[in-house]
Amino acid sequence: MNVFLSLRSTTNHGTVLSPRRAFAPTFSMPYAQLVVGPAGSGKSTYCHNVHQHCASLGRTLSVINLDPAADEFRYPVTADVRELISLEDVMEEEELGPNGALMFCMEYLEDNMDDWLAEQLEGYMEDDMVIFDCPGQLELYSHHSAFKSMTEKMTGWGWKMVCVYILDAQFISDGTKFIAGCLQAQSAMLHLALPHVNILSKVDMLQDKSVLEPYLCPDHQRLANELDERMDPKYRKLNHAIASVMEDFALISFAPLDISDEESLQFVLYQCDCAIGYGEDADVRTSRDVEYGDEPDMSNLSLE
Amino acid sequence: MAAGKRGNVYVVVGMAGAGKTSFLERVATYLERSGKPPYIINLDPAAMRLPYDANIDIRDTVDYKSVMSEYCLGPNGAILTSANLFATRFDKVVSICDLRAQDYEYFFIDTPGQIEIFTWSASGIMITDMLSAHFRTTILFILDTPQCQNPQIFMSNMLQAVSVLYRSRLAVILVFNKIDVASHAPLVKLLSDMSLFQSELEGVSDFSSTLTQSLHLILQEFYEHLKIVGVSAATGSGVEEVISVLEDVGAG
Repeated sequence: MNVFLSLRSTTNHGTVLSPRRAFAPTFSMPYAQLVVGPAGSGKSTYCHNVHQHCASLGRTLSVINLDPAADEFRYPVTADVRELISLEDVMEEEELGPNGALMFCMEYLEDNMDDWLAEQLEGYMEDDMVIFDCPGQLELYSHHSAFKSMTEKMTGWGWKMVCVYILDAQFISDGTKFIAGCLQAQSAMLHLALPHVNILSKVDMLQDKSVLEPYLCPDHQRLANELDERMDPKYRKLNHAIASVMEDFALISFAPLDISDEESLQFVLYQCDCAIGYGEDADVRTSRDVEYGDEPDMSNLSLE
Repeated sequence: MAAGKRGNVYVVVGMAGAGKTSFLERVATYLERSGKPPYIINLDPAAMRLPYDANIDIRDTVDYKSVMSEYCLGPNGAILTSANLFATRFDKVVSICDLRAQDYEYFFIDTPGQIEIFTWSASGIMITDMLSAHFRTTILFILDTPQCQNPQIFMSNMLQAVSVLYRSRLAVILVFNKIDVASHAPLVKLLSDMSLFQSELEGVSDFSSTLTQSLHLILQEFYEHLKIVGVSAATGSGVEEVISVLEDVGAG
């Protein structure tokens, strides 16, 4: 009933909802993945591959681009923020540098959420999934208000959202860098307050995949010891404080993604689905759907 | 500190808009007036104009606009690529600084607007590693104090700072900028006072109090090893303190 009320309240704010959606007989709502991460971590590649993977499974999935500086896509773009505003225009007209222009674009998007975004998101039904390909500026996810208000708004509209945080596996070569990545991901998690799935991308690019192994399901005592070795001794207590927070709240777990391996993609997708409860009642749809009931066997996952 | 390292290098990092460049301008002017001009290296290829005189400027070596067209990159990719290109020649920069170390007491490095270009890229790591191998290197983490009044953003910033500490394994000095607009004293108090921190965060975040408690534990430990200084790049208040902190760190 709550969902219905929140639908109503958006109507009051002037959003025109399609009749189909407003009078949908069930209130199970669509799902969305917000794909974030530093520049060059492989967000668009992830979107492309997930899209392909889902297409081959017969699962519908749309990709919306939110990066005003993107230039080409390998996936079909359902909606594009550049229809609303383009970075080059802003840079020219407002005489801003690239970064300032991006912030301007995001603020513009924030202001136009009720018109543009609501319009783009119209017509999605239960069990539809939308992926947002986002810009690579980290501060958008840890400081800026645009994405926070977007997620709040969409959650209010009844969307179930998960944040997919992508980090380049090549930067996780030792414990200190791993912790740096975790803290980075954590600040996005605290800011956006969404279910969070962390992904290490480009695992296929690593020469020695075994270096990642200790960090996928980290042993915290070991991690703290490794930090002790690598850091100035005065940080010993800090090392242990961080490791214990990670342990107590299970804040860190990274899923490795090897883009060349369908199974690893499926595992990552499964993690995202679990985080938002996608496919809980999808078993009746088609026989071609994957079985989401069983957890994939992690032991033979791509790290061999 | 290992023997044989000479010269103090300060790498200025911070979120876009925190005021890295204006902070540097203020510090540079002050140092010049006191007869110890700093040696400044600009690593931001997209800077429109610099208010200070950079001794080495990435823009002299790499033209960011032509990188954009040559490699068919967007603005973000072009900044990253320019930084990578420059990093391949950074050994030259280090040897120049080495030569200059007898004449200059302070070396400053200005970094690109977006913090992750420096902290989350291969080139950033290369540059900090090279610097720390030759010089006594310190990170100056610039914070936007008015923005930090929002406890959640403050938290994010602090986590970023801890992240930078682990990523670079260098000493970090927190520089609260723009203190003419909002004071940094309450924020520093938050770091050391758990119950205050908790009550501040409670109103704005969805996270359980046990989580904020544990996060605070991290910050408290971090705070123990931290030098904190407040400055206003706009009015110039606090610059003396910054310099004395820099001297402290430099002395070792």
